Amino acid sequence: MLFNSIEFAIFLPIVFILYWSATNKSLKLQNTLIVAASYLFYGWWDWKFLSLILFSTIVNYFVGIGLSKQEKQTARKVLLWTSILVNLGLLGFFKYYNFFLENFITAFSLFGTKINANSLNIILPVGISFYTFQTLSYSIDIYKRELKPTKDFMAFSAFVSFFPQLVAGPIERAANLLPQFYIKRTFDYSKAVDGLRQILWGLFKKIVIADNCAEYANLIFNNSADYSGSTLVLGALLFSFQIYGDFSGYSDIAIGTSRLFGINLMRNFAFPYFSRDIAEFWRRWHISLSSWFRNYLYIPLGGSKVGTWKKVRNIFVIFIVSGFWHGPNWTFIIWGGLNAIYFIPLMLLNKNRNNLEIVAQGKCLPSIKEFVNMALTFSLVVLAWIFFRAENLGHALDYLSKIFSQSILTVPDFPGRKKALFTIFFVIIFFTIEWFGRERQYAIARFGLNWPRPLRWFFYYSLIAIIFIFGGSGQQFIYFQF
Amino acid sequence: MKVFIKQLTIFLLPILVISIPLDVYLSVQLKKSKDYAAGEYSVWNSLFDGKVNSDVVIYGSSRAWVHIDPQMIEDKLNLSAFNLGLDGHNFWLQYLRHKILIEYNPHPKTIILSVDVFSLEKRKDLFNADQFLPYMLFNNLIKHYVESYQGYSLFDSYLPIVRFHGRRDAIFQAVKNSFVSVDDQQGRKKGFKSQGEEWNDDLRKAKAKMKYYEVKLDTASISLLKQFLVECETMNINVILVYTPEYIEGQSFIKRRKEIISLYEDLAVKYSIPFLNYSNDEMCKEKAYFYNTQHLNNRGATIFTDKLIGDLAGIYAQQGAESGGFSTSSQRRR
Repeated sequence: MLFNSIEFAIFLPIVFILYWSATNKSLKLQNTLIVAASYLFYGWWDWKFLSLILFSTIVNYFVGIGLSKQEKQTARKVLLWTSILVNLGLLGFFKYYNFFLENFITAFSLFGTKINANSLNIILPVGISFYTFQTLSYSIDIYKRELKPTKDFMAFSAFVSFFPQLVAGPIERAANLLPQFYIKRTFDYSKAVDGLRQILWGLFKKIVIADNCAEYANLIFNNSADYSGSTLVLGALLFSFQIYGDFSGYSDIAIGTSRLFGINLMRNFAFPYFSRDIAEFWRRWHISLSSWFRNYLYIPLGGSKVGTWKKVRNIFVIFIVSGFWHGPNWTFIIWGGLNAIYFIPLMLLNKNRNNLEIVAQGKCLPSIKEFVNMALTFSLVVLAWIFFRAENLGHALDYLSKIFSQSILTVPDFPGRKKALFTIFFVIIFFTIEWFGRERQYAIARFGLNWPRPLRWFFYYSLIAIIFIFGGSGQQFIYFQF
Repeated sequence: MKVFIKQLTIFLLPILVISIPLDVYLSVQLKKSKDYAAGEYSVWNSLFDGKVNSDVVIYGSSRAWVHIDPQMIEDKLNLSAFNLGLDGHNFWLQYLRHKILIEYNPHPKTIILSVDVFSLEKRKDLFNADQFLPYMLFNNLIKHYVESYQGYSLFDSYLPIVRFHGRRDAIFQAVKNSFVSVDDQQGRKKGFKSQGEEWNDDLRKAKAKMKYYEVKLDTASISLLKQFLVECETMNINVILVYTPEYIEGQSFIKRRKEIISLYEDLAVKYSIPFLNYSNDEMCKEKAYFYNTQHLNNRGATIFTDKLIGDLAGIYAQQGAESGGFSTSSQRRR
């Protein structure tokens, strides 16, 4: 079930009303409804893969209890590795089996050994990369004695399968989300209204910005050989807006929906395209994944508290693994590696924590230096997105070589160029609103709150009308494929 | 909670209330379009308003739409005619037009079914989906034949206004139609519209992308065609299969072409219907008659229709001799 579908528009109010009326009297009932609704939400896509979620939930639940009862370090390690192997095993099989197989065959063929092995026709279960990381963090936190395991299976099931964030995050930490399922939620009017506002903004990002940009980005990337360098630059820019609108829009809908049920999820995006350097970008982009890798990979490897070479190694490891997490394709690995290359000079010069606050805080406009830094950072990010979007490495390199040719000096030209002006107009409006709302949790968090109700509602109706009229063709969320 | 629900209901109520009149307004205005959605509205309007009412109707894809001029048939055969050619779609949706014709119009005496290599290959996307917008709300017939394509969902057929979501061109066209009078001289004439003379490079582009095109026959479409032929026989409607000319350079680009043509020949024999096959006609060798490999330009269409009329006259003369003559639309009842 997609957030931007009629099915979800029917599903959400039904669950919402049941949650706050029929099951409002008991915590158990609330959690049971959350689990039932989440399984229905997921099963709508493919009920067969519900067994994977259930399996992952059962294994990690019992690993958690086992870890709390076990004092012997060896036994604790065995339990932890059980959780790691189950979670990464599921991920490895469903997501990476064919990739490793094909690359092994290629590698052996280079040495003259021919291996006959057939790749499997494996369907990637939606959201597997998200919920396996979430359950993995639970077991690791308990192993590190940073978290007490739960004995409440229903609360744990709700933590693993909570439908707003089940299929594309934010990847929650048990320390934040699980305790919220221990306490009966009470309805909070302002929280629910704020949730609806965030959902509306997320829908605008997804349906108006991302889906419209997708139409042209897909056209240009899929036929890149036919277009000039300047058109390819425009294609890369449009993809950059698409992926931001798509994923941050999804996160806004997820966070807003959770707030309707009295649950607070962690922030996933913090205006990343206003970053002044790559380090800041990675503190603001897909925060739940970046912080996951920082906590569970980078720091255990020694983080920045090791020698220079190990620091460089750790940065490469975290970015390449992060790239690989997105999918079994060398393009993602190169994308990760490229970001590591961007990041390393900042770290070696000890400048990776220079820009911790949002740009131009309390000011209307950035300084010239800030503007130049933002533009440079954005350019580097766009360049890396070409690898992320390309079908394969050859496609990415062809795309880049065509960009850096004389045709970059021509006027961009592609079918539907005039219609694309609508999209560009909305992108400009969108980033203007984002800029003025950049100190908030989401851009319109405080927008118009002090206005008289008719004016405020007029703003909401206008957003709904824009979503209705100018919405792009219903593209699936990009991160569903990860 | 109650306050929240109350406020939300008050907020949503105007949207729900306005959705039905807005749907009606957009549908009514959009129907007036002559050229939008490849001019298909004028054909759908004629079908739903019962105005097709013709002795001869022409079915097929764009190759029917731009190749066969019904006015020439009327003038030369003294039979009323209408072209129901549907741009970009195979027999599956051509059959939808047939069903609507039968439901809302007097039955024709003859159906000229233009067939080609693509007639039995079903595409996945609902090409030119906007053409269904004004007619599809609560229309089960359209829903039935459209639902197998990627285009509209079940909700689009039963919830007012929902299907207009994201169709900004259609919405703008509808609004434009309510302010600008639509010129009756534009659009199709009896469903037909001839196309310009200029040759385009569709074949070169296609060849750059693939060595050849292999048609994938759709078994459901084949079954539907057979069902259609049986139904027409039951209703005493004469069906004539016509394979209109294709430019010779494009013929070798299509794999399985001969196999598909022989399939039509077999069907013609099996159902005892005439098959006028122009797939290797002399016209196919003359580039000046085409604007791409699949479509005749207006010059080619005029010459071809004339040729077709000659052959139709022969068939009619033969059938007339057998059955004692054709009746005209004024003599028939619905």
